[in-house]
Amino acid sequence: MLNVYEQIDQNKRRSFWVITLFIAFVTTFGYFFTYLYNYDYSFLIFALLISGVGSFVSYYNSDKIALSLAHAKPVTHKTHPQYLNAVENLASVARIPKPKAYLIDSPALNAFATGRDPAHGAIAVTQGLLDTLTRTELEGVIAHELSHIKNFDTRLMTIVAILVGSIAMVLDWSWRISWHRGGERDNDNKGNAIVMLIGVIFIILAPIIAQLIQLAISRRREFYADASAAHLTRQPSGLIGALKKIMANENIKLETANTATAHLYIDDPVTVESHGSWLTRLFSTHPPIADRIKALEGAI
Amino acid sequence: MNTTTILILLVVGIGLYAISLYNFFQTALTRIKASIQEIGNQLKRQADLIPNLEASVKGYLKHEKDILTMLADARKAVAGASGSADLAKKSKAAGMLGDLLPRLAVIVESNPELKANTTVTQLMEELRDTSDKVMYARRTLIDLSADYNVKVVTFPSNLVANAFGFKEQSGLEIEDIGDATKVKATDTKTPKISL
Repeated sequence: MLNVYEQIDQNKRRSFWVITLFIAFVTTFGYFFTYLYNYDYSFLIFALLISGVGSFVSYYNSDKIALSLAHAKPVTHKTHPQYLNAVENLASVARIPKPKAYLIDSPALNAFATGRDPAHGAIAVTQGLLDTLTRTELEGVIAHELSHIKNFDTRLMTIVAILVGSIAMVLDWSWRISWHRGGERDNDNKGNAIVMLIGVIFIILAPIIAQLIQLAISRRREFYADASAAHLTRQPSGLIGALKKIMANENIKLETANTATAHLYIDDPVTVESHGSWLTRLFSTHPPIADRIKALEGAI
Repeated sequence: MNTTTILILLVVGIGLYAISLYNFFQTALTRIKASIQEIGNQLKRQADLIPNLEASVKGYLKHEKDILTMLADARKAVAGASGSADLAKKSKAAGMLGDLLPRLAVIVESNPELKANTTVTQLMEELRDTSDKVMYARRTLIDLSADYNVKVVTFPSNLVANAFGFKEQSGLEIEDIGDATKVKATDTKTPKISL
């Protein structure tokens, strides 16, 4: 049985390893690619730059984009004192600046947090959440969202997305270029055919493997945010109760959500990942809620 | 790379590690002091609400003499504690106000006139919020002290801590905590319930 401290440590470790795996994978891809294409680094640099610039704009404005897509409205102390007090208090114990709080006018039970860094954080909850959850459960959800901000998850997932995008881009170009060139390669070690074969297979599979690792990182960060919330509130029962209610009300759809912002929400508003096969779960940004509850109870 | 270069790099590496740890310890100690001040800050905020609360509920609390006495005692304790740096005094004062809240909540709930009064419900929310803020201020002190203490006692950071004389911080001290962490022999006996 893991206590709240051990849960955080375990999540930090597992997060470290999955990110290390990703870095090792990207490095191996870079190695194989340059080996097969005569150590020409220019493709990789260009892909990184273009992918980086493209993602940077959405990263920098992540709060405005997500909030406007969700039709979120700001709230005041007069209209929602309990919600704002909870955000203020939990932000102070998390030792981050108070994020701007918003409300999504929807009966669905969901919430999200975003922002390029803690100084530019934003959190939004749905009306359905405010109506259905008790105060302790609401504090659990807010603590989870604030933990995403505190752990710099937006920044991490942006960097991962830039690298995944670069891999896909590099491959796209190299197929086109090879087609035109017709394979003029001064490969003087024909004996390395096996390495070349492995390299080619690796490169073909690279985009899908990169995406799978990206999704694994996203799921691990969800577990990490859950554990951080339990530690912040010292009361896992709050978030556990909230997750149970969210799971029970998944049939109420969040109309304003789409696949672009789905990963930001506490519960994936697009896929019901618990009802799928292991393949669905492999391609999910969120772990199944039942697993998250078990983890909070210290059972896994 | 010859042995001299390796040795120099090693010494520089250890030196940088020691410097960063020393700075961490100093920063942590400063933050711990600030968090203790913040607890006093929140207690003052809580105390400032008491006159408003008294004014709005005094009429209804005419018959609740003991609540009024508790209110007056708590206000005195808070006034005495918010000036001093003595954390034990602050904790005691905060405890007294914390005991008041549930009793006041019961009175508000059972008195329909009080319950309908928006000023009173707003004030109850404010009181609960101040209680929460005091709790979170204390938790910040607990977290900061724990993070600092972990580095003071674990290896190899304890070597740097001992070299510069950094000691374990006591964090949040709680008077009479002994009772809460002990189970008396009488508690282990099966309780008898007679309805």
